Amino acid sequence: MEKKAFTRGWIVAVAATLLVVSLFFATGCSKDEASSKGSGKTLYLYNWTYYTPESVIEKFEQEYGVKVVLDYFASNEDMFAKLKAGGSGYDIVFPSQDYTSIMMAEDMLLPIDKSKIPNLQYISPLVLGKATYDPDMSWSVPYFMGASGIAVNKTKVADYARDWSIFADTKLAGRMSMLDDMREVMGDALAHLGYSVNSTDDAELAAAQQLVNEQWKPNLVKFDAEGFAKSFSTGEFWVVHGYAEAVFEELEENRWDEVDFFLPPEGGPMYLDSMVIPKGARNVELAHQFIDFIHRPEIYAEFLDRFHFPASVHTKAAELMTVEPFYQGEDLANYELKNDVGADLEKYNEIWQTIRYVD
Amino acid sequence: MNSHMQEKRGRRLGITYSAPMGLWLTFFFLVPLCIIILYSFLKKGLYGGVEWEFTLTAYRQMLNPNFMRVFLRTLWVAALSTVITITLALPCGYAMARSRHQVMWLALVIIPFWTNSLIRIYAWIAILSSEGFVNEALKALGVIGESLPLIYNQGAVITVLIYMYIPFAILPLFTTIDKFDFQLLEAARDLGASKPESIFKVLIPNIRSGIITAVIFTFIPIFGAYTVPLLVGGKDSYMIGNIIVDQVTKTRNWPLASAFSLVITVVSTIGVIWMMTSTASERARLKAPAQVVDANGGIS
Repeated sequence: MEKKAFTRGWIVAVAATLLVVSLFFATGCSKDEASSKGSGKTLYLYNWTYYTPESVIEKFEQEYGVKVVLDYFASNEDMFAKLKAGGSGYDIVFPSQDYTSIMMAEDMLLPIDKSKIPNLQYISPLVLGKATYDPDMSWSVPYFMGASGIAVNKTKVADYARDWSIFADTKLAGRMSMLDDMREVMGDALAHLGYSVNSTDDAELAAAQQLVNEQWKPNLVKFDAEGFAKSFSTGEFWVVHGYAEAVFEELEENRWDEVDFFLPPEGGPMYLDSMVIPKGARNVELAHQFIDFIHRPEIYAEFLDRFHFPASVHTKAAELMTVEPFYQGEDLANYELKNDVGADLEKYNEIWQTIRYVD
Repeated sequence: MNSHMQEKRGRRLGITYSAPMGLWLTFFFLVPLCIIILYSFLKKGLYGGVEWEFTLTAYRQMLNPNFMRVFLRTLWVAALSTVITITLALPCGYAMARSRHQVMWLALVIIPFWTNSLIRIYAWIAILSSEGFVNEALKALGVIGESLPLIYNQGAVITVLIYMYIPFAILPLFTTIDKFDFQLLEAARDLGASKPESIFKVLIPNIRSGIITAVIFTFIPIFGAYTVPLLVGGKDSYMIGNIIVDQVTKTRNWPLASAFSLVITVVSTIGVIWMMTSTASERARLKAPAQVVDANGGIS
């Protein structure tokens, strides 16, 4: 009896230890806590994941003798909630257009002193024309403008439409996915029908809803924003709607020519991420220097090269690029920025429920 | 020291011992729970957050038929996965309790937790996809010609959920079965019970508390599942957990997200109360020393 009790105690101890260890493993997502020791200032950036090349950051650190600490967000909503909840101390944040305008409206930003950023001369006037909420860069400086597109696996699919109607192709049923993103999918449908991606007109939205639910959805495996690139690389999905960098990141470079990535010519929703200086920033001066540094033509080209982005917001970097971008800046001609639709977001939400929640 | 003083001292020690747990629960469960309850009755802020205005809008929105369908689907998926999990976990727990290599089996049950759960879900994608291991193996054996649709549907969600939560069912079942006096089974057989009868009339009633714990430890986390339906589910796999995330990160409706979280908390609380009352009534029925369910069995 004594022995049995001892054994059981031992078993429980082992089990408890294993569980505790496994909990540590399970939650062990360690943050890149760069030490901010050493002399000089520290610049705190709050950016999207995989959006700033390591090499560019290092060059900035060396040239200015400072330390850069990067913190990441996965969605504008996350970033906004954190800043609203009092998360201060960031010197530069990289919101998309709708949240740039929201942050301007909510008085969360410091003005940009354009005299300190001579490289603003390279920002494309076309982009500023689209940024109707801040056309003269008083509060935000464009970082990158792009759009999601369609990737087709050419080894599996030979004959296909190079526009949004590809998702209505019943031959490809069960092999296609679209982003799990309300504004993206609705925007694609609206653009395909010839409407604005920011439409709040009930009839137009109803037509888009019908197009998605009746023509596109029956052919999709799923709405997927997480694993589609992986599934595309394994050959599970043949046609995916998504961001080029996500698709190609999963593929070895020797397979890149198997892929036809295109932006449908009808247009669609596009995003413009900008650099803004939030109130509470500690190094306003340094933040201006960083913005100027990023837009130095050779530095900006280095950033584009790293991600194979087109020089959509920069007038000088295109000629300095050494790699072929995944799509061209001109492809964005018919694209429209997804603007904040305010309270009408609820209309989109109700439609999205019929797309996403009901089989 | 007289008995009165001893009692007093015991009470003081009891408070000291339970203080850390009590503080923990207060700060990391009760306070957040109160915030959730409060938020669910407030007006949604235009850009996330809440406005300090009392309203029942969130609860009205929850009655929307699209949400009700997701709610029923969640209930169905959770119930079915739990039943299958327990059915599989019972023989496992039994075999482990009777084995001479208990430590080894326990380690084998727990070691998969050393891998991050996301990685294990992605591994299932590799197993179930149309060019995955299962389909390729069946094709090689000539069983099938075309790949079977094993992934991105409800079946895949249930399979992976069972895989994820079966250890949480095996552990409490193992601890209760281990304490079971197996001579009772022999006695039942001697008294004329058939093998199945001795299992269902003697073993199962005696390990009831373990079964209830296992049910709770599987049903509750599955009811709130989020990543599994998102990653291996298809167009028809949305569960309540996914709605909550959507309401926070996409549609900026925090009150509705809070209301849904509250639903999950209420369902979980009902489960725990059921577990506590049925264990208590069983204790009263047996009039025997407490059959304490091992609380270590189910950290989730």
